[in-house]
Amino acid sequence: MENVVVTGGDPRAAADRVGSTPTAPTAGAPASAAVTGADAAAGLIVASAGGDDLVAPESRRRRGLFGADRATPYLLIAPAVVALLALLGYPLYRVVVLSFQAMGHRQLIRGEDPAWVGFANYTRIFQDSVFWSVVVRTVAFTAVAVVLSVLLGLAVALLMRRVARPVRTAMVVAMMLAWAMPGLVSSQVFLWLVDANFGVVNWMIDQIPGVDFHNHSWFADPLQGWIVITAVVVWGALPFLAITLFAGMSQVPKELSEAATVDGANPWQVFCAVTLPILRPLLGIVTTLSIIWDFQVFTQIWVLRNGRPEDEFQTLSIHSFITAFGQSKYSLGSAVAVVTVLLMLGVMIFYVRQMFKIGEQD
Amino acid sequence: MRRKVAIAAVLAATLFGAAACGGDDKGGETTKNPLDGTGTTLKVWLMVDAQSGWQNVVDDATARYKAATGGDVKVEYQQWSTVLTNLDTALAGSDVPDVVELGNTQMSKYVFDGAFAELDKTKFENSANWLTGLSGACDFEGKQYCAPYYAGARVLIYRTDLFEKSGLKPPTTYDELLAAAAKLKADNAGDKNFAAFYMPGAYWYAAMSWVYNEGGAIAKNEGGKWTGTLSSPEAQAGLTKWADLVKNYSKGDVTKDEADQDAVFAQGHAAMLYGNGWELGAVQQQRKDPNDPNSPMVDTKVKGKVAAVALPGATAGKGIPSFLGGSDLAITEKSKQKELAQEWLKYFTDSTANKGLIAKGALPNATNLMDEVVATKPDNAAAANAAKSSWFVPVAPHWADVEQQGVLVQMLRDIVTGKATIADATKAADDKITAALNQG
Repeated sequence: MENVVVTGGDPRAAADRVGSTPTAPTAGAPASAAVTGADAAAGLIVASAGGDDLVAPESRRRRGLFGADRATPYLLIAPAVVALLALLGYPLYRVVVLSFQAMGHRQLIRGEDPAWVGFANYTRIFQDSVFWSVVVRTVAFTAVAVVLSVLLGLAVALLMRRVARPVRTAMVVAMMLAWAMPGLVSSQVFLWLVDANFGVVNWMIDQIPGVDFHNHSWFADPLQGWIVITAVVVWGALPFLAITLFAGMSQVPKELSEAATVDGANPWQVFCAVTLPILRPLLGIVTTLSIIWDFQVFTQIWVLRNGRPEDEFQTLSIHSFITAFGQSKYSLGSAVAVVTVLLMLGVMIFYVRQMFKIGEQD
Repeated sequence: MRRKVAIAAVLAATLFGAAACGGDDKGGETTKNPLDGTGTTLKVWLMVDAQSGWQNVVDDATARYKAATGGDVKVEYQQWSTVLTNLDTALAGSDVPDVVELGNTQMSKYVFDGAFAELDKTKFENSANWLTGLSGACDFEGKQYCAPYYAGARVLIYRTDLFEKSGLKPPTTYDELLAAAAKLKADNAGDKNFAAFYMPGAYWYAAMSWVYNEGGAIAKNEGGKWTGTLSSPEAQAGLTKWADLVKNYSKGDVTKDEADQDAVFAQGHAAMLYGNGWELGAVQQQRKDPNDPNSPMVDTKVKGKVAAVALPGATAGKGIPSFLGGSDLAITEKSKQKELAQEWLKYFTDSTANKGLIAKGALPNATNLMDEVVATKPDNAAAANAAKSSWFVPVAPHWADVEQQGVLVQMLRDIVTGKATIADATKAADDKITAALNQG
């Protein structure tokens, strides 16, 4: 939000400079922020609309100098686009093509051209009850994991605002370390922690009098297994969420919450009425990102189930991987992957829209 | 202009020269002995077991091959967990290994899909006596596509000190085994961790032995159509006995497989274990740092307190049928030096190499060499005997899919956790097995 305020001030100054009539709103000091944020943004639009005519001659001159001014932005973005197309576009294209073929083990190792089978792979997975149970499981896990990680991230961020500086530094350092740990490594450590024979978690719970957790298997009961998996995933997501939301909260001007407190609002009301509305765009983005990440969770489950997840621990990405690489049904696995991508697309559109909205505000 | 002509001449000369070279090569190949390996290098993929267990056997076979052909050999060691992915990747390209080791249950799929070249069985020593459990997977439409490498059979590993303390002798019948387990459980009730018989719930190689012991089977083939047969009364009877053993006498994570059972047994809280012959050594000595293959071996708590016998089965005097695990070696269809590869394979699978393997605790690839085991490695005699009564997974092209889908593991887990009755769990597994084995 600080950005908005600052840029909201800039065009005004620019408008003043070029001597146009002051169309900018007579907002107070930039520091009064958020409430006037919308006005400032309006000012920005007005100012830039007015400015267009004024800067036009200059830009026309520049075009004359280089001739290809219109192409310049495209040239500048070209390397990134080429890299993206090569690294993301081509594999995606291959997956889509594969999903309409019958690529199996034989075709792969003998270099034979796979036959085209149209939508056969798709009809096969849509008629497969296992596939649908995997979809439901994936959606349910995503919902639980996202809600938990965003709420906990918000809670940790709020805590960071209230603690003393050294404590906050310690928290940030600890979270950065957790964040820096690759998922493969942390999952392996968690696997050892919950090991039935040697794990320290069983040992600790066993210390409680009257509780027998000796040789307790955490993955015999799917619910308990999913609790462990969710804990590992949420643990891994917390640092990013907490630090991002903490940064977002530091944009909330103290004056506003102070004013609300003076007006008799309790901390909960201040949070709901002042902090939350300002955080909303950011919350929207981190939630969308979390959905995307949790929807395609793979590493944690793969490691925790020793590379062979049982039926009740399979999510879409794992189901796709096992179908393609475990059973060498590359086309069927590709079809599952394409459906996964399509399901994600709905979420992604929301994410991209949010990004554009923020871009417009800037 | 003259320069252009000169360039053209040089170009032409280069092209013709190259063509001439190619021609020379071709002519050379037809005229020269195909077994002259001078200047060639064979690329061989072996599993890490060879590296940690019998490097000397590999080196010796390679030395004999070099002396005979003059060719070089480069051995690359693979991990079990990633070998199939690596092999698929390599086979999809052109830079393929010439010789590949695969587990005998993994072989069928590759043989069926045409990944490997046909071998001349008559050129291999002991090929008439090859263990069928190993060579069965190599046999497709009457042709031989791989050669047996080594085998392993499972035995009962037990704690001699605990048996002595409880006044027990090694069991010779299944009832004696159960009686011993009950006595050991009662005598060691003070140890919360104690398992009279450590049996992980996902250890399907073991559970299937109980199935075959009662006369059951995983699947049967009638007129080319496969049917899962785990819900047959015999198979269910076997699984019932196995599940009772797990529930009454094992302690530990029922969802675990046998991967770390040696480490668990070495902690000293278990009296009996069903494992490969070589696991008798593995429970007594382990690497100080399990992640470092070069770290020194250290004695475990059970060092010198264990012995192995055949696990008694349904018939008195005969052990429970053991899964005959092991490895086969094949030459890739894409290999450019198949004759040389077969030559190396001959040295690596002959009697000399097998004697080296026997000395390291593995079982040889032919029945006529089993007596050698009994004579020179009494510790491994139980395993050699167990290998004589063995079972094997259905030799179907799509068997690997059943393993990859974890069908049997899922069934066993559902049984031992009580999630499904044995009847329901076996029925579900049969449906999956039938579907997987008959797919086009």
